[in-house]
Amino acid sequence: MTDDNQPRTDGGTATALPGDSHDDDHLPPRWSLKRWLVTTNHKDVGLLYLATAMFFLVFGGVLALLIRAQMWSPRAPGTGVLSAMAYNQAVSLHGLIMVFWFISPFATGFANYIVPLQIGAEDLAFPRLNALSYWLYLASGILVFASFFQGSSFAGGWTLYAPLNIPAFMPSIGATTTVFAIVVFCASITVGGVNFLTTIHRMRAPGLTMRSLPLFTWSWLLTAWMMLLAFAALLAAVMILLSDRMLGTTYFAATTAGGSVLWTHLFWFFGHPEVYIVFFPALGAMAEIFQTFSGNRIVGRKWFIVSMVLVALQSFIVWMHHMFLTSINLEVKTLFMATTIGISLPFDLMVFALIYTLIKGRIRWDTPMLYAFGALVLFIVGGITGVFLGAVVLDYEFRGTYWVVAHFHYVMVSGVTGLIAGLFYWFPKMTGKTYDEFLGKLSFAVYFTGFNLLYFPLFLAWGTPRRVFAYRPEYVGWHRLASVGAVILGIAFLLIIYNLAKSIVAGDDAAANPWPYSTTAEWAVASPPPIENFPGKPSYVSGSLEFLDDDATAAAAADGGTAATDGGHAALESGHGDDVHVDHASYWPVTIGLFTLVTALGLSGLQVGSYPSGLEGLFYQGASVLGVVGLLGSITAMGYENFTAHEGGLGEAWPFEGVENTKMGMWVFLASDVVLFGAFIGAAIFLRVAYGWTQWHPIPHNPIPGLVNTYLLLTSSFTVILALVAAQKRSRKGVVASLTLTFLLGLGFLANKAIEWVVLFSEGTGLDSSVRASTYYLTTGLHMGHVIAGLLVTAYLIWRAWNGAYTDGNDETLEYFGLYWHFVDIVWLFLFPLFYIV
Amino acid sequence: MIPDSTAASVLQSGLVPQGTRVQVFSEIYWVFLGLGTLVGAVVIGYMLYNAYKYSYQGGVDEEERPKLGEVPTGGGKGKKLFLSLGLSAIIVISLIAWTYGTLLFVEGQTGEQGVDVQVEGYQFGWNFYYLDDGGDDYTGVNTTNELRVPVDTQINLQVTSDDVFHNFGIPQLKVKTDAIPGETTETWFEASDTGNYTAHCYELCGQGHSYMDAEVIVMEEDEFQDWYDSQNASTNNESAANVAAAGV
Amino acid sequence: MARTKLYTGIYVALFVIATMQVAVEQIGLLESSYMLALGLITVFSLVKAVVVAGYFQHLVWEPRSVTYVMLLGFVGFLALTVAASYSIL
Ligand code: HEM
Ligand SMILES: [Cu+2]
Ligand SMILES: [Cu+2]
Repeated sequence: MTDDNQPRTDGGTATALPGDSHDDDHLPPRWSLKRWLVTTNHKDVGLLYLATAMFFLVFGGVLALLIRAQMWSPRAPGTGVLSAMAYNQAVSLHGLIMVFWFISPFATGFANYIVPLQIGAEDLAFPRLNALSYWLYLASGILVFASFFQGSSFAGGWTLYAPLNIPAFMPSIGATTTVFAIVVFCASITVGGVNFLTTIHRMRAPGLTMRSLPLFTWSWLLTAWMMLLAFAALLAAVMILLSDRMLGTTYFAATTAGGSVLWTHLFWFFGHPEVYIVFFPALGAMAEIFQTFSGNRIVGRKWFIVSMVLVALQSFIVWMHHMFLTSINLEVKTLFMATTIGISLPFDLMVFALIYTLIKGRIRWDTPMLYAFGALVLFIVGGITGVFLGAVVLDYEFRGTYWVVAHFHYVMVSGVTGLIAGLFYWFPKMTGKTYDEFLGKLSFAVYFTGFNLLYFPLFLAWGTPRRVFAYRPEYVGWHRLASVGAVILGIAFLLIIYNLAKSIVAGDDAAANPWPYSTTAEWAVASPPPIENFPGKPSYVSGSLEFLDDDATAAAAADGGTAATDGGHAALESGHGDDVHVDHASYWPVTIGLFTLVTALGLSGLQVGSYPSGLEGLFYQGASVLGVVGLLGSITAMGYENFTAHEGGLGEAWPFEGVENTKMGMWVFLASDVVLFGAFIGAAIFLRVAYGWTQWHPIPHNPIPGLVNTYLLLTSSFTVILALVAAQKRSRKGVVASLTLTFLLGLGFLANKAIEWVVLFSEGTGLDSSVRASTYYLTTGLHMGHVIAGLLVTAYLIWRAWNGAYTDGNDETLEYFGLYWHFVDIVWLFLFPLFYIV
Repeated sequence: MIPDSTAASVLQSGLVPQGTRVQVFSEIYWVFLGLGTLVGAVVIGYMLYNAYKYSYQGGVDEEERPKLGEVPTGGGKGKKLFLSLGLSAIIVISLIAWTYGTLLFVEGQTGEQGVDVQVEGYQFGWNFYYLDDGGDDYTGVNTTNELRVPVDTQINLQVTSDDVFHNFGIPQLKVKTDAIPGETTETWFEASDTGNYTAHCYELCGQGHSYMDAEVIVMEEDEFQDWYDSQNASTNNESAANVAAAGV
Repeated sequence: MARTKLYTGIYVALFVIATMQVAVEQIGLLESSYMLALGLITVFSLVKAVVVAGYFQHLVWEPRSVTYVMLLGFVGFLALTVAASYSIL
């Protein structure tokens, strides 16, 4: 790599210490498989994410090559390497895998590894949840893989448009499994989002204010916020879809007024933020790399951050630019045209900021910089062609053609390019080895050539409709060029993988800081960093990074170092993990992941309310039961496990000072739940508006039973409050009594609801009777699911309280459960009038 | 949203591309392409220039460079940033505003005169139902996978679907709209030359999507009239029940 | 922290508002003046939700940022619902 021939001084005491890994003995050694199953350490989890994402890159890449093989010539019916259905599966799963199972997890891998190092945290706030989000991700990926073997995988495009996505048009079990995989993936993202948001907001080193957060961390922070809210909307969409497929509700059925358009709203409300979710981490990596390799601090840093924040917010108000050809009205088109242009402007600023950072630099063209620079070039081309699409009259013609395909590959794969820059940049840090610089540069040359050969001709062949393999013969030349480019790009990826694999085995040892002019904290520790990351407590208070010894940290504690738990028992933790034991291993995340996989596989057999007959059905039913039982057991076990994690609030915690980690995590989770319910409620309102608002009447004949349920829930909220009050008074009896009352009230709610449903069923009003009935059953059903989950937790709490928990001064668990329970109450306060009164 | 009078005066000013959809598209497309290429070339050129100029070449360094462990800060004040942002904003916003006039023109054009046809997508083909002058009632003339229209006449399409989400588009005539079950979208086109064109489906709709084409035959006005009358005569011979069964 | 009295008062108020909400329907206001009834019912729900969030969930005693996080989710819901519904009007 680069040899810096100029002597340079380090700021402060930030010198790398050799890794002292005495804590490693909490974990099995790296060469043991067991370590990778039980580890909760952010660096290990990061590597797992990266490796798995690379696997999916290859998987999605093979599908892409199949697509390009089919596109070699315009195919007459029945000819070509793929059948029509195989082709449809290939385009659909290629898109899904690249967007969900490759790019985001790839970025998550870096975030896992680098973000805690950059902010001076020893680990994430909830290490076990971090491992859990990885295992859920892997489970969802295995589901995708399995879907190919269950008849047919999903074949309706990565946008999953309705009503092609319902069993009437796509009956295979594999298609259900694909949708289920997305559900599990959303769960993984939500768990991860909660974790990162809590960590970045509350676990920064003293002196590291939001304004001075490194740009990669900033980009990931905003990514996590967008993920949290956008994926909640997607989760709602795919849950409704699953319900249509498995239970037989009729949201998206062809006969439903507005069903197809509803899907496009739900999907793109998620879909547009998603394009920034995949791009932001790359942007952050590019910003770091541009600074390091040009030897300049980024120009207009503050405005760069402001721009990112603006984009993150605006990304939620542009979704209808994907729907300009649907039946939406002109006013809305105008509005969304304006917001779309609005969102391109902050991007302009960021692009210019990166370019101006080069000026007066001493630019070193190592592999990371080559990729980062290339990524910016590609992004500019993608952005300019995006402006074409923002002009509605042009979009009318480009929509559904290869123009869109070319545009979004330029932007998205520019993001991939930026992440590959990050891969080379952080490779020495993550592996402690030096990659082969020559091979790296060679791979860039091949990559850049292949990329442009592949995607640029698609602009020229833009008259080709998307997702077809019979196109006008005049485009053959361009499509062949693209296919050749695809092979070259594939070779580039193989070169990259070969280079890195070879270097892991036989590369030279890397220095702690191989790059001149790098500034961020990950370069101030050994490569790879020791398990506790830092040789002391990191602090920026003096103006630059210092590692303080432990005595000094007590004074820096801003938050009174209260109990830190990962959902399990409370244990007191303060300062650095030398004298205090911190856990790094748990079996439960991988177990939960496994049972999630089993559950999803089992339930995927459920088609419109019934399992297949015979042995096959038996398999699916058995797996469903086994999975659910295993899930309940392993979640309980994880809750009960003694696991100590690092506490937050010891350094910078703006703007959540004083909101203890677990509490903040709970609130952030609830925010995503607001969006989940919001999307369900929004779907019901939308369908009702499409149908004619006043033509719709409540399904229950009479609001009084619903009112009774409102009373029951309100009272149960009150008893949860009483439980907390009792705990504060250290009254065990009071706690147990109040919780038991809560439990009984909740049961009453469920019983009342059950009676209502039984009566409705007996009158012939089923889930599939009408859209109106579907929305009523599913939305209140989702709420009921929340009540049931709450009651399961209540039962657990009662048992623990009976044994003396919560009255020993550690009543946080009760408080956090209360937050959830009151939230369920609040949701009902809206569902009740919507579905029973108006 | 925009007062009609303002919209009308902008439309009449001559600045806004109007005409058939082929004409407005190519006018706008070429302007975008020209400016887009220019902007792209300038920006990327400027990047490459700086990349070359400031490449590391050893020698003494007068600048104060970033140090490991420093609190991240920015370089430069960003004045130049806002200048470039302002410039690009002006280009982008004025371009889009300019095309907005055409959007109003295109949207305002629907259903005023010409021939009205209802298009219905199904897996995997297209039905065309010819409507009466007001575009309200089915005349009994219908075709499948073949749309015949007169030249130099505005053709108004009311597009829907019988099963899944499709999208009806005729690339050479620059018209396209979604075919959504339970909904109707409206659009129009006008062909300036007689001849045969092909309509495609632009939304993945299942197994036969790649071949979900229809032929569009643009005829001289009187030829079209002859064809239409002959169709009309044959349908009039059929019973009224058949017309009702077409479900339109 | 003896806020028990406060909590009890709030609980009673919630009970009353819930009853009033149904009363709006029972007195036939939905038939006679739909928009007014709809408005009233919505406001009642909002008031109840704010009170539960503010006091039972302790939002009034937490840093304001927590409230903003929840509002963020709520605004997302509003944006989706209102814009989507409006788009097909
Ligand atoms: C200047 C900025 C951008 C503008 C104005 C823009 C505009 C658009 C528009 C209007 C569409 C809809 C085209 C259609 O389907 O008719 C679109 C599609 C798309 N854009 Fe962008 N875009 C921009 C940047 C990005 C970025 C940064 C990404 C991702 C990293 C991205 C990813 C996508 C994707 C994935 C689609 C296609 C979705 C699909 O139909 O499958 N865009 N863009
Ligand atoms: Cu978008
Ligand atoms: Cu199609």
